[in-house]
Amino acid sequence: MISAVQLTKCFGAQKAVDSLSFEIPAGQIVGFLGPNGAGKSTTLKMLTGMIAPTSGSATIAGFDLLTQPIEVKQHVGFVPDSGAVFESLSGLEYLEMVAALYGIPQNAARLRIKQFIQFFDLSFETLTDKLLGAYSKGMRRKVVITSALLHNPPVVFFDEPLDGLDANAAVGFKALIQTLAREGKTIVYSSHVLDVVERVCHRVIIIDKGKLLLDGKPEELVAAHQSGTLEKLFTQITGGAELEQRAEDFAKTFWA
Amino acid sequence: MNAPPLLPEPVPPLEKTLRRLFLMLFLRGRSARGLKKSLAPQSIGRKLALTLIFYTLFGCMALGFLKQPIFALAVYLHGMTFAFLGMFVAASAGEILFNKEEADILMHRPVGPRMLLWAKIRVLVEVSLWLAGAMNLVALVAGAFSAHGDWRFPPVHAVSTVLEALFCTGSVVLLYQLCLRWFGRERLEGLMTTAQVLMTIVLVMSGQILPRIVFQLSGVLDASAAAWWMGLLPPAWFAGFDDALAGSGTGRSWLLAGLGVAVTTLVLWLAFGRLAQSYEAGLQSLNETVSPRVKVSGRRRWLSTLVELPPLSWWLRDPVSRSSFLLTAAYILRDRDVKLRLYPGIAPMLVFPFIFLFQGHGRSDGGFGLAMSGAYAGLIPLLALNLLQYSQQWQAADVFRVAPMGGPAAICHGARRAVLLFLTLPMLLVFAGVGLAIRHDLSQLMWMLPGLVALPVYAMIPSRLSGAVPLSIPTEEAKSAGRGLWMMVAMFSSMGLAGLAVWAHYEGAFWQFMAGEVMVAVAVYVWMRRSLDKVRWQAID
Repeated sequence: MISAVQLTKCFGAQKAVDSLSFEIPAGQIVGFLGPNGAGKSTTLKMLTGMIAPTSGSATIAGFDLLTQPIEVKQHVGFVPDSGAVFESLSGLEYLEMVAALYGIPQNAARLRIKQFIQFFDLSFETLTDKLLGAYSKGMRRKVVITSALLHNPPVVFFDEPLDGLDANAAVGFKALIQTLAREGKTIVYSSHVLDVVERVCHRVIIIDKGKLLLDGKPEELVAAHQSGTLEKLFTQITGGAELEQRAEDFAKTFWA
Repeated sequence: MNAPPLLPEPVPPLEKTLRRLFLMLFLRGRSARGLKKSLAPQSIGRKLALTLIFYTLFGCMALGFLKQPIFALAVYLHGMTFAFLGMFVAASAGEILFNKEEADILMHRPVGPRMLLWAKIRVLVEVSLWLAGAMNLVALVAGAFSAHGDWRFPPVHAVSTVLEALFCTGSVVLLYQLCLRWFGRERLEGLMTTAQVLMTIVLVMSGQILPRIVFQLSGVLDASAAAWWMGLLPPAWFAGFDDALAGSGTGRSWLLAGLGVAVTTLVLWLAFGRLAQSYEAGLQSLNETVSPRVKVSGRRRWLSTLVELPPLSWWLRDPVSRSSFLLTAAYILRDRDVKLRLYPGIAPMLVFPFIFLFQGHGRSDGGFGLAMSGAYAGLIPLLALNLLQYSQQWQAADVFRVAPMGGPAAICHGARRAVLLFLTLPMLLVFAGVGLAIRHDLSQLMWMLPGLVALPVYAMIPSRLSGAVPLSIPTEEAKSAGRGLWMMVAMFSSMGLAGLAVWAHYEGAFWQFMAGEVMVAVAVYVWMRRSLDKVRWQAID
């Protein structure tokens, strides 16, 4: 469903993504991990057609990213980490606008929106009466997730989707993406909350400095590296092993 | 009987959805603190009602030209329209065309860049036409009854005004595309800001200066007598259009009209057709997080060094004021959004003093020109501080309220001092230098004193009246018409002061007048400063 071949992105002399290649079949949930500045968001933005790769290629749902960008965009949903929305629109206005961009008629869109708000435990009045600028962070995140799934895309990219969601909503969301995967949708899930990734994802891809470090099933990777948990494995391979000692040293010098 | 088959529900065209979206964003602004959906304006007319009334009233000044030939009337109208539209388009286009947050919302949706560009341009042109229409409304009707006009003037002038609005919008968009094409994405931000600021200043200057050149310096009143170089000034093209079709119809006016139509067509073709692909590159560049170049280690920024040297180290001895000074100076010098609003906004204040200075050149105006330039220079901090309140990062200003300070006084003082040092002082030196070069007499600079004495008082007004904390208000509120009217009042009061000084000079009481002004200014300044120190933070909506 997703195929990336030697995908590279340079910003001037800096290589943000360096010859990244991977294949993701339909129905798989893939955790896309890496430390800050590893190139995760840049990769996701390239795969959703938001920025052009410097070199390499990719196909999404059979469409070429470089030559068929509109077709690719019709087949993907994306929840960016910024959670940006047009704040001066009400939730309903925003979602109906997004639905129209995908060619969904207004009545059909409203039906789907109602299903989502029921799932997310939002009231329709909140959606119609309040402007998005007045929403809490969690409510806004729910609207952004709805806007990514409204057109029923076969491929969905999530960049820190749980940010701002309360515990109940987070549990519901995790169940939702597992259901979506069972229906054959491909999910790419980028997050720093590694225990969630470990529980939800069928496979993890770990990158650092734009390069692929590890690719495989979480339990197999953890066993192979004898790290016990995915979090320990992550810090082990991305150079974060001495963090606890550093925190201790910092606390001693700062509050001394 | 079978029920008729249900027709599939029509899907609104993408263009319509996008145009509706951008119009709604223009009407409501992009952020929503304090905004209630039910109170949001439903049309451009309602959103800009006060501005449109102000423009219509301003357009009434054209009635003074009804006895002049059509070319002269049209030059005045197009000059003013060009200046005001230019300012609006240049200030709004950056935010409308390249909004950073918007990229995260729309760039992964199935929408082409050309469609996005067209939807935005349509809204921009629509608003421009409302403004141009208001400014030309009175003259449009009155022109038909002017000494040289007839029924042809209203429709012809309406067409030329539409052309002018399209030219203004197209030029700004074209400028963006060319910057992208020639200089690449990496240098886009800085270059476009400089180019746009310069363009606005040129638009304002050509709009303000052209009518004066036509009427006052060369005595040229009709197109046939116009010098060749007038063909370089866009308002003259559209005035030529009016004169060709509804006025004298001379060969020269047809030439100017042809030039206007040809250049407008070329600009639109280049901006919206040929170079539209560059727009996609520009939008994509907003998503790219480019790491700033690493400075040589240990090297400090000149601004930080400057505040530690005397006399600034003494002037900014209060640490809060010093921080506010550095913040304001950084935004005046670096921030694209602030620069695009600030420099075009104060451009008229920079242009008018030169006009007054050159008007008196070669003639004895009794110091009126210099007194007026002093009066305008005194308004620079007032206008600049007012404009500096607005920022796209306005929510970050909440940090001031979180800090252990009772009110905004120290922050206002720092911002005011940054404006005085980086904007007002350089302009004062330029005005004094030009005045000296023209008059060749140092004593003539005394005419600038009435404006300069009032300057500290005017500089306190924004802080005292509206608690002008820098960068603390959403940019959408900068479009408020009340602000324009308020500025007009300040401008008239400052000009009145200069006029009184000239009158006092003729009465042989200039220095007595100055002594009186100094005493009043000191008293008002001290009172404003003390009351500002007592101002507490207002509750956030």
